Amino acid sequence: MAILVVDKITKRFGGFQVLQDVSLKVEEGSITGLVGPNGSGKSTLLSTVFGFYKPDGGDVYFKGDKITALPPHDVYKKGIAFAFQIPRLFFKLTVLDNLLMAARDHVGTTLDGTLFLRKKWKNQELELARRAFEILELLDLSKLVSHKAGELSGGQRKLLEIGKALMASPDMIFLDEPAAGINPVLSRKIYQNLIELKKKGMTFLVVEHKLEVLLEFADYVYMMDSGKILLSGKPKEVINDPLFYNVYVGEAKDVVSG
Amino acid sequence: MDFTVYLMDTLVFMAIFAILSMSLNVEYGYTGLGNFGKVAFFLCGAYTYAIALLLGVPFYVSFVLSAVTSAILGGLMSLPALRLREDYLAIVTLAIGEVLRIFVKAEEWLTGGVWGITVPSVFANLGLSVDAVAFANVLLSWGVLIAVFLFLRYLTNTPYGRVLLSIREDDTAVQALGKNPILYKAQAFMIGSAIAGIAGALFAQYMRFIDPYMFLPMVTFTVWMMLILGGTANHYGAVVGALIVEIFNRGSRIAKDYLDLPFDPHNIQFILFGVLIILLLLYRPYGLFREKPLKTGVEAEVIKWQSSSSTK
Repeated sequence: MAILVVDKITKRFGGFQVLQDVSLKVEEGSITGLVGPNGSGKSTLLSTVFGFYKPDGGDVYFKGDKITALPPHDVYKKGIAFAFQIPRLFFKLTVLDNLLMAARDHVGTTLDGTLFLRKKWKNQELELARRAFEILELLDLSKLVSHKAGELSGGQRKLLEIGKALMASPDMIFLDEPAAGINPVLSRKIYQNLIELKKKGMTFLVVEHKLEVLLEFADYVYMMDSGKILLSGKPKEVINDPLFYNVYVGEAKDVVSG
Repeated sequence: MDFTVYLMDTLVFMAIFAILSMSLNVEYGYTGLGNFGKVAFFLCGAYTYAIALLLGVPFYVSFVLSAVTSAILGGLMSLPALRLREDYLAIVTLAIGEVLRIFVKAEEWLTGGVWGITVPSVFANLGLSVDAVAFANVLLSWGVLIAVFLFLRYLTNTPYGRVLLSIREDDTAVQALGKNPILYKAQAFMIGSAIAGIAGALFAQYMRFIDPYMFLPMVTFTVWMMLILGGTANHYGAVVGALIVEIFNRGSRIAKDYLDLPFDPHNIQFILFGVLIILLLLYRPYGLFREKPLKTGVEAEVIKWQSSSSTK
């Protein structure tokens, strides 16, 4: 069953048509890849579906509900988390605080909960901190738990950004190039974790440039160019399509084997 | 006047401005909202207190009322203002501060206009000496200061405080994590305004007379100076900054009475402040006190988990 349905989304920035009637379906419990040259509209598509931009036309359905043009904080509450391509962390806050910010339905984050339900939020805070710590162990960041996020290296920031998305325990995660800037061993580890989560029923929509990663981990791939979906299918089919080579890879046919 | 009255006068002003400085700290230090109209809420609190008291409302209810009306004013103001970018927010808040002062000046039937309002003193009918009244005011204002300090220290060390800090860092990211930044900004604004309103009520009760010329934009800038001097996002910083500026401010007035100088020492303070701010921004841009990581009480547990996982 399709958990996310994007139906003929269009988006213009001024006179520039960034998305033209983009339609796609993401199956529940799948890892769906999104590839395409730089500027083809992949990130804009994610941002529009998530509500950062209002689409000029088309609709988005999540778990059967229409979420078109909902603001991001409401999309999040529906069960989608978003990991930015360039990590957007709270740099002066600790690594732990960054993760705790991502928790859903934390009673202590509301003003009345904070003031009148002290015991309840204290307990919840401890449970959430425990889960945050487990996520940090998974991402090899547990040593840095009380460091400020601004002290992390580029790759660690990227990991923390993914950690934030995991912390939300959403039904679906949008990942914008999760493996960019991370060493190969760790990026494999991230994807293996995604597979584990997938088995538990989580769904992923991933912008990814690394073809070998897509081949190994993705269930389905959409390829975009100039704001349109050009190809879709199993990773193998898409990557072996001549059109894919012409638009995306150019002449370097050995990328897949390398 | 004798020296103890001067001293107690200084202490009262310290407390009132420390409360203002802490209220700005909630808005700017924690939530990143540059409120340049602080004086509007100070004024709102002072006039609400005075008018309520003249209408026969008990003084403690009047204190609460001044917090409530200031919070409502802050809420109303935040509706259009919080959708603006930081620099525009600064301009709008600055303008509202002046608009409110001119309103108070014009609406003579309500506020006494330029003639001001004489505020009945809480301690007047108790038959106390001048010193005792001054001392009672010191106790009252420092009591309120301590209460506000404890409240804000609690509030900023909760998951709620974490959201405020995160909004200051990156409000788009906060939105992507399911929290509506506009809502939190409006709440922070209302909390800050309510506290500034209480400071206004204390001011009116202590001065026993208020007029529009006591609420010039300079009050806002003084509060900003205190906060920048003390250090943002640190309640100790906000208080200590206020204490230092008030030592200069009241001290120079007192010096005027005791020293025979060829110039007015009160005017010198503005030069001193200018130099002080420049030196501070050059050598200690974060102020006297640094921001500390917030503590919700789980930190010790986390360190325990950390040491047990590293020994595995």
